[in-house]
Amino acid sequence: MIHLDSVTKLFPNEETGQAVQALQAIDLAVEQNEFVCLLGPSGCGKSTLLNIVAGFERPTSGRVLFEGEPVRAPGPERGVVFQEPTLFPWLTVEQNVDFGLRSIGLKAAVRRETVRRFVSLVGLSDFARARPHQLSGGMKQRVQLARVLALDPRALLMDEPFGALDAQTRDRLQDELLGIWGRDRKTVLFVTHNVEEAVYLADRVVVLAPAPDGITADVPISILRPRDRYSNEMRETTMALMAVLADLPCCVLPSRSVGEVSLREPSTTMPG
Amino acid sequence: MVPGSPAPAAAGTAAAPVLRLARRRFSWQGVATAVASLLIPLALWWGLAVGIAELRNIAFPTPHDTYQRLVDLIRGKLLNDFTIYQHVADSLQRWAVGFGIAMATGIFSGLLLGWSRLLERLSMPTITVLQLVPGLAWIPVAILLFGVNPRATIFMIAVTALAPIVINTTAGVKGVDEMYLRAGRMMGAEDRTLFMRVLLPGSLPHLLSGLRVGFANGWRVLVAGEMIVGTGTGLGYSIIQSRWTLDYAAAFVCIAIICIIGLTVERGVLLPLERRTVERWGLARSA
Repeated sequence: MIHLDSVTKLFPNEETGQAVQALQAIDLAVEQNEFVCLLGPSGCGKSTLLNIVAGFERPTSGRVLFEGEPVRAPGPERGVVFQEPTLFPWLTVEQNVDFGLRSIGLKAAVRRETVRRFVSLVGLSDFARARPHQLSGGMKQRVQLARVLALDPRALLMDEPFGALDAQTRDRLQDELLGIWGRDRKTVLFVTHNVEEAVYLADRVVVLAPAPDGITADVPISILRPRDRYSNEMRETTMALMAVLADLPCCVLPSRSVGEVSLREPSTTMPG
Repeated sequence: MVPGSPAPAAAGTAAAPVLRLARRRFSWQGVATAVASLLIPLALWWGLAVGIAELRNIAFPTPHDTYQRLVDLIRGKLLNDFTIYQHVADSLQRWAVGFGIAMATGIFSGLLLGWSRLLERLSMPTITVLQLVPGLAWIPVAILLFGVNPRATIFMIAVTALAPIVINTTAGVKGVDEMYLRAGRMMGAEDRTLFMRVLLPGSLPHLLSGLRVGFANGWRVLVAGEMIVGTGTGLGYSIIQSRWTLDYAAAFVCIAIICIIGLTVERGVLLPLERRTVERWGLARSA
């Protein structure tokens, strides 16, 4: 469904003027209805890769196909959930969800019903008239999810959507996302640097290392769903993936390395 | 399903003290200070008026004279053949037309310049220079363009109000986070929709402060504008006319009315509008 064919991306370094390589010759295929996590340290280019699939950025060379068609621009068939809150602060929750429906030209009556349904799907009916700044981080991410789901996208592209949330909220949203994915069977490409999150969510975890290494591991996660976060199977898979990550060069941006140190040790949220 | 439900309450209490601080609390000391801030300049004015009258043997209007004249005028006495209401209405109308033109063209071109880097580079130097031209310097230009005609007045109001509106709107559009545009495009929005539903509201706080500055500029240049063309009516015209009629008390009344209207519109309408927008969207509460 999503095919990356030798995708390379160079960025000009603003200060030196030299080209910095973000991605080199990445090949990746995501199948219909598959839940793929793109796992890697900060600065490995995973967000760049997602942005290219979303159509926000063009690859320097290589091809990206979505359902066989080259990706040229962003579009509602590829719903993006961003890490940062990108809800429009001047619109209420329902107006934010309505934004896309209006953009694609649906009739008012259909829109009203759709907005109601998706706001209630993410449990925010009581906050339909609230503005984004009145919501918690977790609620904002729910609205982001609602506004793309309302457009009935064929793929969800998620860029560390739960990265800035506290542990409980994150777990909860992960479960809700799995619930929605299980019902609607959408293709999901999910970027994260959190190994446990990747193992818990994905059918397949693709480990991305900073260029020029690229994809260093492609691990199917065959643990049966619904998964138990605290099962031995989960823990073993997590440990194995952590070992893979531990061998990678940490990152290309030294200032952001602090957050990645925990990958080398069992995380404190793990039992035992 | 709603673990974050207490959040809005929490957000509300977090925001409330900031907002409350912005509003003045009632205290006798505060009232006394406010009264003093009015009485002291009034006393200075009075002293000056009496002193000048002594020294130069001229009837410099005292606050009392001015008040008397104001009461006369409010009661319907004519000033230069027209009532004060006619003067105020005509000035307001000229200003409204001039400011309206500046607002429409300013917002439109500001949105364009914020959108297109090339257009911005091409025109921003001119607009910056435009902003530096003192209001009075437009008199010859206005006369050359429109002749001695009320349209010259309107031109002067529009041209002085325009620059701050354009500059602020451009800054506002450029300040709209790229992520909002990405989100909009991802949801299928075309350029026109992005323009109207993302860039315009996103730049609104800046735009409103541009309007506020533009309003003040245009209102201030009204006197100069009405001066050149001898419009026959208007607050600015009446002030200038006092040179010949020696009705200086009436000139002072007009100056006071100009100040009061300016202050009312800026503090009573534009500033609250700007604040409310910023607060309602939870934007830049610290700014």
